[in-house]
Amino acid sequence: MLGYRTVTLAAMATVLAIAGCSDGAPVGHEMHVHTNATSLGQPDRPIAGPQGGTPQFIVECPHSHSASDDPIVYPGQPGKSHLHEFFGNTDVDAFSTVESLLSSGTTCDQPLDTAAYWAPALMRSGEVLTPVKSTAYYRPGEGVPAASVQPFPVGLVMIAGNSGATGEQPLSIVAWGCGAGIERAVLPPECADGRDLRLMVTFPDCWDGTNVDSNDHHAHVAYSSGGACPTGFPVPIPQLQFSVEYPVSGSTAGLVLASGGLTTGHADFMNGWDQAKLTSEVELCLHREVVCGVASGRATG
Amino acid sequence: MQRRISGALLAASLLIVAACGSERVANDTTATSAAAQTTASGATMAAIDTTVAADTTVAAVEGTITVPDDYPTIQGAVDAAVPGDLILVKPGTYNEAVNVTTDDITIRGLDRNAVILDGELALDHGIRILGAKGVAVENMTAMNYTRNGFFWTGVDGFRGSYLTAYRTGDYGVYVFDSMNGDLEHIYAAGSPDAGVYIGECFPCNSVIDDVVSEHNGLGYSGTNSGGNLLIVNSTFRFNRAGVVPNSGSYELCYPERQTTIVGNTVHSNNQADTPAIDVALLAMGNGILIAGGVLNDIERNLVYDHDKSGIGLVPFLEDDPNDAVPSPDTWETTCEDSKATTPVDPGGAILWDSMQNRVIGNVLSDNREADLIVASAGTDVSTLGHCFAGNTFTTTAPNNLETLAPCDATGSGDWKDGEYNVAAWLGETHPPSVEWQTADLPTLGPQADMPDAATAPVRGATGPKAIDLDAIVVPSKPA
Repeated sequence: MLGYRTVTLAAMATVLAIAGCSDGAPVGHEMHVHTNATSLGQPDRPIAGPQGGTPQFIVECPHSHSASDDPIVYPGQPGKSHLHEFFGNTDVDAFSTVESLLSSGTTCDQPLDTAAYWAPALMRSGEVLTPVKSTAYYRPGEGVPAASVQPFPVGLVMIAGNSGATGEQPLSIVAWGCGAGIERAVLPPECADGRDLRLMVTFPDCWDGTNVDSNDHHAHVAYSSGGACPTGFPVPIPQLQFSVEYPVSGSTAGLVLASGGLTTGHADFMNGWDQAKLTSEVELCLHREVVCGVASGRATG
Repeated sequence: MQRRISGALLAASLLIVAACGSERVANDTTATSAAAQTTASGATMAAIDTTVAADTTVAAVEGTITVPDDYPTIQGAVDAAVPGDLILVKPGTYNEAVNVTTDDITIRGLDRNAVILDGELALDHGIRILGAKGVAVENMTAMNYTRNGFFWTGVDGFRGSYLTAYRTGDYGVYVFDSMNGDLEHIYAAGSPDAGVYIGECFPCNSVIDDVVSEHNGLGYSGTNSGGNLLIVNSTFRFNRAGVVPNSGSYELCYPERQTTIVGNTVHSNNQADTPAIDVALLAMGNGILIAGGVLNDIERNLVYDHDKSGIGLVPFLEDDPNDAVPSPDTWETTCEDSKATTPVDPGGAILWDSMQNRVIGNVLSDNREADLIVASAGTDVSTLGHCFAGNTFTTTAPNNLETLAPCDATGSGDWKDGEYNVAAWLGETHPPSVEWQTADLPTLGPQADMPDAATAPVRGATGPKAIDLDAIVVPSKPA
């Protein structure tokens, strides 16, 4: 049930480079030019609901640091990006490479996850609301045969969501919610006391099998639909859902993301995992279709 | 890859006499097992004479693999094992995180107090069983793991016997989405969540027997579990809170129901210096606290010395739910069937009321807000259907609970008299958690060893052992 025509890889690449979204794809947002591209497709629906029914492994990573750096979009250009909040790897800056990540520490509760995760800073009246923590959920894409999921290749980088979005993004890719609840909203909801505002970003779960990056950092990966990866992206990879918890409950007045409006939510990932550990978690948890851990919105006091 | 013990190695193992020697074996989990590389010779075990000397403590029989003799690591032995095999682990310190994916194997330490799996505050789980049925783990200690000491997930048939879990970052012994098993003769201390946990199962068909759980955030937790789930003959003490089954839509198979809690000693769960998740902070000072659970039987427990309740039947508030509260007509739906239902956004906070729990024949004292508490946060508590009978107690809230809600009789009285304000807990300041890595724990003393570990036959892990509930009496107070 894919809406894609069969196109050659070259043609597909051209479409992606120009438009970011292919024709016929189930995307609910406008096409974009190079600088605010997105990956092909989107999940069939927002990933939400109780845990415990879908195979997964999770990593919880407290906030590491803030910097106007982006080693994917602005490599070697410190200070050029909007302000980012970094999680996981503790040494990420504009010069980070996958190799440098592997020799650094991590904030994550899985010490072998030295990957870099980042998202835009959230601010109110110029004040940065430093996040508390993040949670990374690794699962098969909805309906994708679990045993077919391959670990991220060494060095894979991905961006999910569109930092240049001028309108709503698909809820299945970028959504706001409260705590670990089921709510998925385009704009931040008012959360109950004690439940922090979350930005949830779902990454592509299909890889072209060749490139660990691409010119627009989106074109080498795509979203599955109907349990299958689109033509040109034959390798199912874990669907990373990355959730950032900002210390905001109650009123959302005056909130902005460092990347622009509240609809510019996005997140970035560099695979700095210990590759053997990542591979074993994919095989042990996803291929065996078991729940290797749950994140329940619980916090240690 | 079926057989893995070469003739030479087997001969060596036949000669082993010092199975319980004191050598310390430091194993690197990432090291390639030299034995594994050299034992793919396919030697069949069938023709081997298994006669051993009388003083041999490890009998090298078919289907027995000895660590470190046959494989230097437990993981190496596990990877080589086939269903039915027994892995015997000699005393030593094993810096491993072992993953098990083979059905029906037994991993047994030869000395519970000297077979130490040590995660060194860096490895995730001591032994993790992933979808492998019928795996038994016996007679060993796991400590300093960032997540769980022992962890079964997605299995039918599990058993943990004579296990010690000490200083772990999540749970001590954690059983999730699994059924038909036993946890028995367990000591668990030093986890921010529960020392012992069985969750997301209905019917669980499982037994927790002879556990000592202390200095954890929670002594026992079980979210959305129940159905022939027995917690018996165990001690839960010096945790933030003692026995805390709960319902919640953050995981599947709600509500928590039909857990049978009989003959346990639950005391002094006011411990402010433990690591603790938020629920443990909130529940602090309670002995047996049913948080949004239904149809539980709580009988013949000894419960004393708590800042709040001895036995409390309270609601569980979810500010960020993942589904609506299911109606009582779904309470018999199996976990498996309930997974197929589609959750709905209830549009706001939900309240899981505890309902229809039976509290009978417990002996309670010195529970300082009340020995027995029933509370809600908005629901008329007279409608919740709990019952109380034959308990020994001093105080209840509301007052006169055994008159208000007797079992198998009609109650009378004023539910407003002495009603309990559980919502006040949300506004209290709770002593903060401490880091699990550095929490002050009691020195780990010797724990009861499995009898005849070297020679006891494989027992398997095919379902809960029989428990004669009627024979269980209220424990006497420890000296």
